[in-house]
Amino acid sequence: MIVWVVRRVAASIAIVWAVVTLTFFVIHAARGSPFLPESSQSVDPETIVRITNQFGLDRPLWVQYVLYLRNLATGNLGESFALRRPVADALADAIPNTFVLALAALLIDFAVGLALGIYQAVRERSVGDIVLGNIALFVNSMPTFWLGLVLLLVFAQRLHAFPVGGISDPVLCPRLDSAACLGDFVWHLTLPALTLGLVGAAGTARFQRAAMLEVIRQEYVRTARAKGLQERRVLLVHALRNALLPFITLVGLAFPFLLTGAVLVETVYAWPGMGQLAVRAILQRDYYVVTGAALVTSTMVVLGNLIADLLYAVADPRIRVRGAGA
Amino acid sequence: MHTPRPTVFAAVACLALLGSCERRGGCTGDHCGTLVIAYAGEPDILLPPVSEFAATRDVTEPIFLKLADLGPSGNTVGDEDFQPQLAERWEWDTPTTLVFHLDPRAHWQDGQAVTAADVAFTYDVYTDTLVNSPFRSSLRQISAVTTRDSLTVVFRFRQRYPEMFYDAVYHMRIMPSHLLREVPRDQWRSTAFGRAPVGDGPYRFVAWKAGQSIELAADSTFFLGRPYIRRLIWRFTPDQQVAVTQLLAGDADAIEVLITPDNVQRACADPKLACYPYKGSAYGYVGFNLAAPGDTTKPHPLFADRDLRRALVLATDRERPLHNVFGELARVPPGPMSQLWWIWDPEIRELPYDSAQAARLLKRLGWIDSDGDGIRDKDGHALSFRLLVPTTSAIRRQYARLLQESFRTAGVDVQLDEVDFSVFNERARAGRFDALLNVWNTDPTPSSGFPQTWTKAGFGRSNYGRYFNPQVDQLVDRAVSAAANRDQARRAWRSAFEMLNQDAPGIFLFATENVAAVSKRFTDVTIRPDSWLALVRSWRVPSDRLTDRDRVER
Repeated sequence: MIVWVVRRVAASIAIVWAVVTLTFFVIHAARGSPFLPESSQSVDPETIVRITNQFGLDRPLWVQYVLYLRNLATGNLGESFALRRPVADALADAIPNTFVLALAALLIDFAVGLALGIYQAVRERSVGDIVLGNIALFVNSMPTFWLGLVLLLVFAQRLHAFPVGGISDPVLCPRLDSAACLGDFVWHLTLPALTLGLVGAAGTARFQRAAMLEVIRQEYVRTARAKGLQERRVLLVHALRNALLPFITLVGLAFPFLLTGAVLVETVYAWPGMGQLAVRAILQRDYYVVTGAALVTSTMVVLGNLIADLLYAVADPRIRVRGAGA
Repeated sequence: MHTPRPTVFAAVACLALLGSCERRGGCTGDHCGTLVIAYAGEPDILLPPVSEFAATRDVTEPIFLKLADLGPSGNTVGDEDFQPQLAERWEWDTPTTLVFHLDPRAHWQDGQAVTAADVAFTYDVYTDTLVNSPFRSSLRQISAVTTRDSLTVVFRFRQRYPEMFYDAVYHMRIMPSHLLREVPRDQWRSTAFGRAPVGDGPYRFVAWKAGQSIELAADSTFFLGRPYIRRLIWRFTPDQQVAVTQLLAGDADAIEVLITPDNVQRACADPKLACYPYKGSAYGYVGFNLAAPGDTTKPHPLFADRDLRRALVLATDRERPLHNVFGELARVPPGPMSQLWWIWDPEIRELPYDSAQAARLLKRLGWIDSDGDGIRDKDGHALSFRLLVPTTSAIRRQYARLLQESFRTAGVDVQLDEVDFSVFNERARAGRFDALLNVWNTDPTPSSGFPQTWTKAGFGRSNYGRYFNPQVDQLVDRAVSAAANRDQARRAWRSAFEMLNQDAPGIFLFATENVAAVSKRFTDVTIRPDSWLALVRSWRVPSDRLTDRDRVER
């Protein structure tokens, strides 16, 4: 088991390094210059040349890469050209926001997805199953940014039931220091989390329905029923426990989905997270922010998958045996 | 099956309800308002010497003062129309020596007095090559700034010219030397002071939540009078449309510019909002590259020909696309100029829209449609060029398509090169384009920006198309250095523009008219076109219009 874990961790580090390296060279190879405002106003070329030299971007690319890795090894992610601050500081501001959004979305995704999947499996081929199945397929087919825009238009702009964007009301709640401000935060979080969570929930429901159906046809479930156990106990204790095993894989897979989805959702809802930071950095060719964001994102994805693999191995001894033997 | 308990939903609903409820605060009287400004973008740093972004300018405007500021007329010539800020008065010792006397009441928000040493320090910073201020070149005519005593500072100029005073006061916001002296000059771009500045203006910095908001609070001890609005909050969004939506939803109180006719219509129809039109500082144009793309030593195969450029200008109806894109929010400029400039004059002669004359001229140049494909050709080459357009600007993309169609009817094939803004800028400055659809935001005066974009002095800088006419350059020099005589300068500028228009280095498409929207809670709203929040100190919310958001105490 330890050997297997060490191998997986080593592979994870190699993947993160490969992603960072690829990102570094791709963003530098992309045409265009950093140090530009977000507006479409042109900038005096002299200004660009001046700052390019100042930040050492006139050096050969491989020199910049070696310097970057050397700094990275000491925990220095570099300086943002556009934000005029250390990349680590910018990421430290953004990561918690994305994490909270992803967590809320994950809760919605799994709570709604699991409930729907179980309900559909139990009532297989009923009207409810068919209707919910089609709704889930419809929602799952929707691009997250489109669903976000629709929810924003209906619930924020038309009905004024939710704020248009942002993370909190800057007048009433500049700090999260009271129950009212916690409420304000939840109020701001609701639409972006729903946008991200509902699309995921639709996929989870379909996945869980199939897993549950497979399990409730097993012999041991029939035995449980024959022993006279209550149906609720048969489903929730005997069937669901085994149907949840593939669900662990889904947790690992949900990370990349949530992080890529967050890029769009954060932009639509002006949510100041990693996605928004990365999009702006790409447009501004803010090299070190882009590379830093790739580092954090790939680490989170790899970590998510690693944890899922570990949980899977803990839950299913056959995997441990195969892994150890490999 | 276990069903979710209603209490879970109730708890979430209660939290959401708490969040949506406004709390009653305690502030009453004339100094209670809170102004929330919706803004697409975010400042890079709150340190004026090292940033030229509009967002930085807007936020630092109420934090740091100048020695004097533009008056309501916007006149940049002479010193008559300027209004005192840090300097309570000034006089000319000699024609090239300007003496400012600082207001002894002026103080930094940490309690220290503002001194002449701060002014000298500021000039030193702005002109230091290590700091690399974008405003350094605007101060090139000032040879020295010295102190005479703690409240008297002397500016010496290299020569006499009409906008000496403007150059002395407009570009520099005075910095606190006691807080910044120790910051190494090459580290000014990332100094911590730039994220939590201490100023001398009517508002002091409170907080900057990255990606979210910046808050300023009124300085009740401000020596020129306590501001009426108690708090200024910029609410940042990544997108202009989200900012407009926040305004319409009541999540914000004001926006600097609505940009599209649709936004203007919606905002101005909203009973809670008042619209404030003001002159825009931007102009847009199709610029022809007179040099071969990527090789400035060779002429462009098409646009080196002055008559061909003239024919293309004659073939362009500039009014129709302007109304399609901007409605009433822009005007066709009489040359490369913004409406903000005092020399704006619709009577300046330019090439008219005359498709028949354009067709005759093209035919005379040998460009005819010999193969009947609808595109003119000569010597086997189609009359075709590529137009560089940034994808980040919806307005320019819309314009490009309209122009493409318009040129097609004249027998000219235009292919659009739509690239992201970063690539657009890179190709523009490298001269790798046939024609580009560009926008310039201008200073309040043509003297600084125009030479950099339309004379030989702009080669390798902002004169992307490498247009050069020595007579135009002479006229511009004459206009810039004319004695302080507005009529004389105006005549020189007019001649320069008319000559440039005849050379047709570009098609000058639009000069914007801005419309700001502000909640009707606010009164005494005055907008100065070059900096819309310059007079925010005098905006107010009458006590009978205060909402709980204005009263809330934090």
